[in-house]
Amino acid sequence: MSRFQVAHQLVDLDRERIEKALEGVLPEPIQEHYVVVRGRRYPPKQVITCATGLDRADFTTHQARRILLRLGFTASRVTSEVSDETDPEVGLPHGGRQAAALAPHAGRWIALGAPTEVLVAAETPQEVLGWLARHGRRAEYGMFRVPARDEEAEGAAPL
Amino acid sequence: MELPGERTPLIRPAIPVQVEDLAEAPQLCLVDTGATTNRFAGWLAEAVGIDLSGAPEQELVVGGVQARAKLARADLTIAGTRYDAPVSFCDPWPFAFSLLGQEGFLRFFRVTVCAADGWLDVTPEAEL
Repeated sequence: MSRFQVAHQLVDLDRERIEKALEGVLPEPIQEHYVVVRGRRYPPKQVITCATGLDRADFTTHQARRILLRLGFTASRVTSEVSDETDPEVGLPHGGRQAAALAPHAGRWIALGAPTEVLVAAETPQEVLGWLARHGRRAEYGMFRVPARDEEAEGAAPL
Repeated sequence: MELPGERTPLIRPAIPVQVEDLAEAPQLCLVDTGATTNRFAGWLAEAVGIDLSGAPEQELVVGGVQARAKLARADLTIAGTRYDAPVSFCDPWPFAFSLLGQEGFLRFFRVTVCAADGWLDVTPEAEL
């Protein structure tokens, strides 16, 4: 357990506490920075708020990010995801970038804001609808469940 | 639409469909020329407020899954065109996509698919 000062308060945090606090919590829209917790991308301030109960207006993204980095979480910016620097695959509508963006969400319901922008991924369609309504976002490119296996994409049902 | 595949990405002819007034979450639907009607997941009817009590029902098998389909009408918006369409809401529906079929979609739209270049064009028929 490590001790940090956030918003003039001392809080004790470790990876386990962070991960437990985010169980079942859907990520809010990511503006620029995110951290990866259990394979999901969250805004750093959302993570610290969930884990500490502190008001997010009382600390900055930079502070939250620094704490999470010290706890060993991966942090990055959205501009670097599914980059255009990847060599496009010929013959695919989006050069393979859409498939790459969807791959981490196999088996989950997702909302697509753009061809390669996954707004939210959840276990149920109702969670996706709730998230879109709460955050006033629109799935311009549709919502659906990413097939977990090739057979599902071909019209067969999962076993 | 590109989907992650086990060996290579898969391309599927899928388009976003707004069901009733669920504007924030158009459903990505697979164009299925072999389907007789539009087949949507049952949860969707509840989500958009379509009352299925008393709706005609049928048992059917889709993709090897036995499902109960309730027949209703729904306002669909595709490519900016809103129209009233027959839809069967199916439960269970364990598939990745809902399906757009002959009645309720292909009757109303002209669809061009170019699988070689990975694009699909949807144009409303004049009667819409």
